[in-house]
Amino acid sequence: MDDFFFSLLLAGISVGAVYALIALGLNLTFWTTKTLNFGQGSLMMLCAMLTVFLSSQGLAAALAVLGSLVLVAALGMFIERWTVRPALTSSGGSMGWVVSTLGFGIFLQGMAAKYFGSQAMAFPDLVFTAQDFVTLFGQYVSLQYLVVLAVAVALILTFEIFVRCTVWGHAVHAVSLDPELALVQGIPVRRLILGSFMLSSILAGVAGVLIAQIGGTVDPAFGFDLVLLGFVAAVLGGMGSSLGALVGGLLVGVISKLVGGYVSTAAEHGIAFALLMLALAVRPQGLFGRPEVSKA
Amino acid sequence: MKISRRSLTLGAAALAMPSLARAQSGTIKFGFTAALTGPFNEFGEGINRGAQIAVEECNKTGGINGRMVELAEVLDDQLVPDRAVQNLRRILDNREIVGLMCPSGSGPTLAIADMIQADGRPIINPQAQTPAIVYPHGLDKPPRPNLFSISIGNLVESEKLAAALSQFGRVGILHESTGYGVTGADLVRKAIIGRKPGARVTVESYNQRAQDMTAQLVRVQRANAEAMLVIGLGADFAVIRRNMSRLNINLALFGAAGAVTVPYIEGAGDLVAGTRAVNHAAFGHRPMHGAAQKFVDLYRAKFGTDRWYGPDAANPLISLAGTVGSGYDCINLLIDAIRRAGSTAAPDMVRALDQTKDYEGATVRRISFTPQDHVALKLEDLGTYEMLKRGERVVLELRD
Repeated sequence: MDDFFFSLLLAGISVGAVYALIALGLNLTFWTTKTLNFGQGSLMMLCAMLTVFLSSQGLAAALAVLGSLVLVAALGMFIERWTVRPALTSSGGSMGWVVSTLGFGIFLQGMAAKYFGSQAMAFPDLVFTAQDFVTLFGQYVSLQYLVVLAVAVALILTFEIFVRCTVWGHAVHAVSLDPELALVQGIPVRRLILGSFMLSSILAGVAGVLIAQIGGTVDPAFGFDLVLLGFVAAVLGGMGSSLGALVGGLLVGVISKLVGGYVSTAAEHGIAFALLMLALAVRPQGLFGRPEVSKA
Repeated sequence: MKISRRSLTLGAAALAMPSLARAQSGTIKFGFTAALTGPFNEFGEGINRGAQIAVEECNKTGGINGRMVELAEVLDDQLVPDRAVQNLRRILDNREIVGLMCPSGSGPTLAIADMIQADGRPIINPQAQTPAIVYPHGLDKPPRPNLFSISIGNLVESEKLAAALSQFGRVGILHESTGYGVTGADLVRKAIIGRKPGARVTVESYNQRAQDMTAQLVRVQRANAEAMLVIGLGADFAVIRRNMSRLNINLALFGAAGAVTVPYIEGAGDLVAGTRAVNHAAFGHRPMHGAAQKFVDLYRAKFGTDRWYGPDAANPLISLAGTVGSGYDCINLLIDAIRRAGSTAAPDMVRALDQTKDYEGATVRRISFTPQDHVALKLEDLGTYEMLKRGERVVLELRD
C-alpha cells in the first residue's frame, strides 16, 4: 500500500474514532431527552486537564484518568439537573438547553483558565509514547493511534451490546421512543436520564484524554472544535444511531485527512462541514437514522 | 452683582490651577493592551512583567526629573483584535497617558495601528512581526511617524532562517493560517529562493489548535523535503513534533521565534532535541551584555525562576527576551525619550525617539531609530540556536 495513503488513512481512522465517541455521547442524551449537550467540548477539556493536574500531584496515570472521569460524570449529573431539566420544563422556548449547555461549557472553560491557567499544559504519555510503533504490512504504525482506535471502537461496541442485550439497554430504548409510556410502565425514567448524561460525560472525558494524548498539550479552549466535528459525525451517521456514530466519525476523519492530503490542507477542516450540509440536503436522517414521523 | 470679564478670567484661571499643577507634578503615565489572559498570555503577560520591572527600576532611581512613572492603563485583549481596538480607545481617551506599547501579536497591532497613528502619541511595538505594522505603504515608503518597533520582524527573521535553510535543496514550511504565519512563510520562501534559486519549497498551512497534522506532514514528506520550518506558536509546534515522531518523519527541524517557547518544550518533551530556531542573540552570549544581564537579574529577583525564566537560574530561557525583555525595553525607550526631550508632549517624544542612537537595550544591544527607519532589530541581533537535552533540562545553544 502507498505510504502516503496509508498514513492518511490511519490518522483519519484514529481521529475519526474519537469523533465517533463524541457523537455517541451526543446520541445518548438525544435518546433520553432529545437534547444535545453542547458543553461536551468543555468536559473533554476538563477531563484532560484534571488528568494532568492529578498526575502532577503524584497520582498514578490510571488513577488520575479514573478520578477525572468520576468528576466529569458528576458534572454530567449537574448539567442534566441544572441546565437541561429547567430548560425543558420551562414553559417558554424549548431550545433553551442549547444556550444553557453551551453557557455551562463556557463557564467550565473560564474555571479551568482560572485554576489551571490559560496556557497549554503538557499531557503525559499514558500507555505509549509518540515514538512507539509496530510494523503492519510493512508499514510503520504508531501505537498511540492504535490505542486511540482500539479504545474508541471497544467502547462503542460495548455500548451497542449494552443497549441491545440488557434490560437497562431496552429501558433506554423505551425512554427514547416514549418517555411518558415508559414511566407508566414503571421504568425509572428520571434515573435513566441522569445516567445518560453521566455516561455521555464519561464518553466525552475518554475522548478528551485520547485526543490530548495525540496532541500532547491541552488548554482551556481545547475541545470546542472537536465537539463540532463530533456533531457532524452524529448527523452524518444518523442522530441516535450508535453504528451511525461510528461510521459517521470514521467517515469524517478519513475524508478530512484524504482531502487534506490529496487536495489541500486548507480544505481539511472545511470538508467536514461540507459533508454536513450535503447530508442535511440529501439524507437529513443520516446514513443509519430513520426519518422522523409525527402524527397530527 | 456685576461680574466683570476680568474677574471671570481670573476665576477660571484659579480653578484651572490645581489641575495644571497636578499635571506637572503627577506621575508620568503609560498604557497598553495585551493578551494578559487566554491561551497566548505568555506573550501579553510577559510584556506586562517586563514593563513592571522597567517602571520599578525607574522609580527606584528617582523617576524622571523627580516624577514617578506609572503603568496607568493595562488592559486585557486576549489577542483578539476587536478587543484590542476597544481597549485602545479607552486608553487614548485618557489624556494623561503619554506613551504606549503595542499589543502582542500582529492581528491586534494591525487593528490598532491606524488609530494610534491618527492620535499621534508615541507607541513602541515589542512583539508583533508583520512589516506592515511599521511600514503600511511598503518598505520603500516612510514609516508611521509615531510607531517604532523593537520586535523580531518577519523580514529580518526570514533572512536569518533562509540563511540556515538554504543549505538544503528541498524545504518544507508549515505555517499557521494567521497573518503572522502566512506573511512569514511567504517571506521565508522568497528569501530561500533568492539565496538558492533552484531550491524547492513546499508550503502547507494549519489551523491553530489542530490536534493532528498528518495531512500537512505527509505532503511535506511526499515532496522529499530535507528540512522543515514551522512558523507558529509553541503548543502547535509540539503537536507537529509529536506527529512527526508518530509518522517516523525525520527531517532537520527549524522553528520561528514564536514557536520555540515553553509550550513547545513542555508539550514535545525529549523530542525537542535537535530543533533549531532563530531568536534573540542577546541571551545566548556568555557573558551577556550589561543591559541583558541587568534585566535577567531584575526578573529573577522579582519573579524567580518561573515558567518564563525557566528552571536554570544561570541560564534563562532564550524566549524570555521576546516574551518579557521586549516589554522592558519598550518602556525604557519611552522613559529615555522623555528624559532627552525634557517633555511628555507627543511631538517632543516622537522627535526624541527618532533621534535614539545606540541605546543599550536588553534584547537588542544597540537600538537606533531615524525618521526613515523605525525598526531597531537587525540581522546581527538574531542568533540560530539548537535545542539540546542536558540531563533533565532542555538548553538552547547559540550556533550562529
